[in-house]
Amino acid sequence: MAKEVAGFVKLQIKGGAANPAPPVGPALGSKGVNIMEFCKQFNARTQDKAGKVCPVLITVYKDKSFEFVIKTAPAAVQLLDAAKAKQGAAEPNRQKVGSVTWEQVKAIAEDKMPDLNCFTVESAMKMVAGTARSLGIQVTGERPF
Amino acid sequence: MQYTVYTFEVSPLIPGNDLVIASLSELAFDSFQETESGVEAYVPTQFDTDELQNALLELTIEDVIIHFSKKEMEDINWNAEWESQFDPIDVDNLCRVRAPFHEAKEGVLDLIIEPKMSFGTGHHATTYLVLQKMFELDLKDKEVIDMGSGTAVLAIAAEKLGAKKVWAIDIDEWAYENAIENLERNSCTRIEALLGVEDLLEGKMADVFIANINRNILLAQAKHYENATKSGAPLLLSGFYENDVPALLEAFSAFEWKETRVRDEWTMLFLLRK
Repeated sequence: MAKEVAGFVKLQIKGGAANPAPPVGPALGSKGVNIMEFCKQFNARTQDKAGKVCPVLITVYKDKSFEFVIKTAPAAVQLLDAAKAKQGAAEPNRQKVGSVTWEQVKAIAEDKMPDLNCFTVESAMKMVAGTARSLGIQVTGERPF
Repeated sequence: MQYTVYTFEVSPLIPGNDLVIASLSELAFDSFQETESGVEAYVPTQFDTDELQNALLELTIEDVIIHFSKKEMEDINWNAEWESQFDPIDVDNLCRVRAPFHEAKEGVLDLIIEPKMSFGTGHHATTYLVLQKMFELDLKDKEVIDMGSGTAVLAIAAEKLGAKKVWAIDIDEWAYENAIENLERNSCTRIEALLGVEDLLEGKMADVFIANINRNILLAQAKHYENATKSGAPLLLSGFYENDVPALLEAFSAFEWKETRVRDEWTMLFLLRK
């Protein structure tokens, strides 16, 4: 028999950085989940994404067990990463204005397609390009459509 | 660890929230929870500096309106609910890890642990694997280092198995204080709990070295373990998956591989210092 779901918890945590403090602690602890177990698993599964924001959807069951799914980083996070890699780390605490190429926009669009509610890569690319604009990131190269 | 939460009101939420999270993740914030009106962003209080404040005041995102306020979170035991009712763990027929409110089991080593938001109750496969292996080693009159000791469950097992001296080292303050409580609970007298990082290993030489942490920390600290382990002495490593083994064996090349043990995908390596 399928286990009965007690609730869902949606968080965004940097890879390898889950610890029992808030927000993980209060969100899961109140449901009787063993927070330490979640942290150990999350950190082991995201150890290659240290410092990168990983959205995680946690399903908590009535028997206080849990499962979780880690999604790829939000388009905005990936854009900032791509722009930063290109221009090199500038002043870390200032908002950065950099640029990305259309190829990078396409790669991010394809990666985020399942979450973006888009039917074509082209429409997903337009959304990602819009996100880039809001962040002050320029998209360079020849516009492919 | 003490955390400060910044509550951001964001309008419009889409794509505003994603943009805010992306921008904040470039700063010292390490986790986020979306709310109905924006996002809560969490930063270790030690990093909540004037510099961070200034960066936030300068934060502008085109077409997105942002307001924020902050408050310090309580530093309490968030795991108390689970800890108040967990089941004891029997490691084969060797030992039982239990809370003070559980019955002891006749004829096996008794480890009493009240965890308080620290790692190490035996529920995790890695603790289980290391405990199991410790029973196969001769710990009598040995000097043992337990790096990343959490509740100190492994250190306590080491003393009860005859070790003459155990250093239990952890970077986390909750773990350090919890370790001291658990040492008392088990009437341990030969364990020294220490709060800190790998520089505490300087000047110590282990007959048995134990570290159940995670891949990245083990890789980063490999050289320190090497320098703190006697020639021919065992090293027990855990806290990682089977596919992390090649990278670890490379970093720990000063040790000879003896055994790999796996439980629920989690892995323990047993090595000997060359």
